Amino acid sequence: MKVDIVVDARYKSCPGPLLALAEAVMKASPGQIIMLLATDPAAPRDVKEWASSVGHKVLNIEKVDETYQIYLEVSR
Amino acid sequence: MPKISLIVASEKLDKLLPAATLATTAAIMGWESEMFFTFWGLLALKRGYEPKEVSSDYKVYEDSLRRAISSGAIPSWLEVLEQGKKTGKLKIYACSTTMDFLGLKVEDLVDYVDEVVGAASFLSKAKDSDITLFIS
Repeated sequence: MKVDIVVDARYKSCPGPLLALAEAVMKASPGQIIMLLATDPAAPRDVKEWASSVGHKVLNIEKVDETYQIYLEVSR
Repeated sequence: MPKISLIVASEKLDKLLPAATLATTAAIMGWESEMFFTFWGLLALKRGYEPKEVSSDYKVYEDSLRRAISSGAIPSWLEVLEQGKKTGKLKIYACSTTMDFLGLKVEDLVDYVDEVVGAASFLSKAKDSDITLFIS
């Protein structure tokens, strides 16, 4: 998957990963793919809730060792 | 969109941080979000104020919380609040009565305070909230 922006929020607790992602989305353009790196176990579910609330698309979530790689497509 | 209203009556770190986290997270989810700072909560809106203490019952955790914030593992309450303000969805209100008895003027407060209001005005703004919380 082509990733346009990587947001590294590893070792940050809630709400750090979501705030970092939301900040990146504000600066991104529609259609861009962001990969969020997070170790907070609450991050995947929080990101899904947030994305469905504001209308962005979570494309995939992978766990590599202790890190979640969360792929998000910016919709607007 | 849903709406959340928080009444913040403490200036302690362990009260400000969860309050700001909920208010800002709501704002970035597109919710309407508002915080009313009253009594000791208003001290947190004074220019230059930096919360360092937790509530007295939980002093034993104070150092670890401060370390988590200084290492960046947990954002500072002001960073959290500022991001909420950037969305345009988070409103910050200061209690007029508390301003009077603490001898504070609008210029003593941080810039992101939207309005100084009384109880009736805040209640009128908050009456259609889906979630209301009193943090003290």
